Amino acid sequence: MTEQKNNTLIEVEDLRVYFGTPEDPVRAVDGVGFTIRRGETVALVGESGCGKSVTALALARLVPEPPGFYAGGRVLYEGRDVLGMKPRPLKQMRGNDISYIFQDPTASLNPVFKIGYQIGESLRLHRKGVHVRKETLDLLRLVGIPDPEQRMYAYPHELSGGMQQRAMIAMALACRPKLLVADEPTTALDVTIQAQILELLGSLQQQLGMAVLLITHNLGLVAGVAHRINVMYAGRVVESGLTEEVLSRPRHPYTKGLLEAVPQLEGVEGKLRGIEGSVPNPRALPSGCTFHPRCPYRRDICRAQEPADEQVEEGRYSRCHFWREL
Amino acid sequence: MRTAGQGVRKRSDGELLRMDDLRVYFGHRKAPVRAVDGVSLSLMRGESVGLVGESGCGKTTLGRAIMRLVDVEDGRILFGGYDITTLKGGDLKAFRKQVQMIFQDPYGSLNARIPVGRAIEEVLYVHKKGDRAQRHKRAAELFESVGLDSEYLDRYPHEFSGGQRQRIGIARAMAVDPKLIIADEPVSALDVSVQVQILNLLRDLQEKMGLSYLFVAHDLAVVRYVCDRIMVMYLGRIVESGRAERIYSFPSHPYTEALLSAVPDVGKGLKARREGRGDRIVLKGDVPSPIRRIPGCPFHPRCHRVRDKCRTDVPALREVSPGQWSACHYAEEILESSRDSGRPAQA
Repeated sequence: MTEQKNNTLIEVEDLRVYFGTPEDPVRAVDGVGFTIRRGETVALVGESGCGKSVTALALARLVPEPPGFYAGGRVLYEGRDVLGMKPRPLKQMRGNDISYIFQDPTASLNPVFKIGYQIGESLRLHRKGVHVRKETLDLLRLVGIPDPEQRMYAYPHELSGGMQQRAMIAMALACRPKLLVADEPTTALDVTIQAQILELLGSLQQQLGMAVLLITHNLGLVAGVAHRINVMYAGRVVESGLTEEVLSRPRHPYTKGLLEAVPQLEGVEGKLRGIEGSVPNPRALPSGCTFHPRCPYRRDICRAQEPADEQVEEGRYSRCHFWREL
Repeated sequence: MRTAGQGVRKRSDGELLRMDDLRVYFGHRKAPVRAVDGVSLSLMRGESVGLVGESGCGKTTLGRAIMRLVDVEDGRILFGGYDITTLKGGDLKAFRKQVQMIFQDPYGSLNARIPVGRAIEEVLYVHKKGDRAQRHKRAAELFESVGLDSEYLDRYPHEFSGGQRQRIGIARAMAVDPKLIIADEPVSALDVSVQVQILNLLRDLQEKMGLSYLFVAHDLAVVRYVCDRIMVMYLGRIVESGRAERIYSFPSHPYTEALLSAVPDVGKGLKARREGRGDRIVLKGDVPSPIRRIPGCPFHPRCHRVRDKCRTDVPALREVSPGQWSACHYAEEILESSRDSGRPAQA
């Protein structure tokens, strides 16, 4: 029991992040729970607007308040309540213990500062007394940027997309975080560059022993990288479990639909089915199970009653009334 | 299984589009950006060809060159047997009626300030089809044909979701009954569950209208789902082409090999996990700039199979097995190795 406790890095319990006014909120994240253990890779999968990025930001209490507000639930980082933290320890934690990389490196890098300076920024802030130049060079080497002595004086626009993302990763790793949150880290990159960045993230993770929360819509990516997976839909985790289990035997119609919607390299017989309709508007969520209007297995109960988060087996959950029948 | 759209091909009567050694350059004459650097291709009626490559490889420019949206430096384009490389004025407009385009970003390609119905009617107006009432009726028909309710014709683009907007883009392209549709990354901006809906729509329309597609995309799995034939582009040139199922199982160019192995795929990912580390080929370096000329094979600085000859001799595109063309000195060897390992092991 104690060992397991020590193993848990982050625990999210019934997290609710809403936007707008408390009287008429948009429920972006509405009761999300999961854990991340030390050194493991956990994936948060879902389509645009499902709340995956907001969940990720909430881990370090980074959702802008207002318009956002935390309507309930807890985020525990090594047992400490992040949402209730005072500004100073919160600042200590951000970038130092938890750091982020985002989809579009051009948007995350400041165009008027040199790469080296931007990487050194968190070193100067969090790790007083280190030799910033030497450490920056080491980081650039670590993420595989060639000629680091020259490149550290380059401006972001002088680097290619792949190199910019490497620079972002270097920045995120500057303080050797325990958790790296990667929000669609390869979506904006070309396929061959994607492969490079994934390879890099994998090897860095092993080298540094950090945990990674991978946020993506790409199930193919998850299949190769993540240990565990949480599938999100309309602000909730609808299915979770070991990647292999979830992807080979989905226990929620949404997961199943997503898997059937992805064209495979091997080609497919006949037509792909996909999922009818589109992602619901978070301002007007359907009654009962929020997936029911798009679900091929829906019955009357789905419209009326919201399914509970039922345990399928140890560590495996599904929010579907009929998971047994899938 | 839909083998290379056989049913469709029966209806076809020959070549629709032909391109001979096409070159499109940008920028300064002394140091041009060779966006398209000698591409030849041919597209049959009712056929769909996928153009695959990474950003900057020239695939979009190639599509735009066919529409005559960019100036052609050298080479020629034949459409239905006629040379359209230098068409002007009314002739060009008449030609454009037969070729339409679908764009990546359905929001950026619709005017935010006019109702979507009018956007469709505008195409008909430009091409002088029918009077106002007829145009309106036609727009409603088109709307229904892409699976939208014609009640929504008066709405503005922002009132639709991404997938619906892409349907509108398709309806607009279909308005003038084109023979060829150039679809430039038509689903890459859409959510996974919506992508399939659009892909299925494109397939249905092709079957119904006997359309040809030039499908420009970077996602190999998506291309495979829609296309009979694939052309892989790198730095403005075709490096491999052939039937989709052939190329995906037995690639004959190292770049195709790398592309295929880089695609994140559920089946492949789970398999790699079961068997420990996967055998992914990870290319070195970035896509080089098309300004600088690379001696020898343009792909050699990134190639995992590079040898001395590649640094000096430019490989020609040649037929390495029936219907499969490759621009690699060692194509036969690669074919041999993929056959031995049976790597993708399906066809």
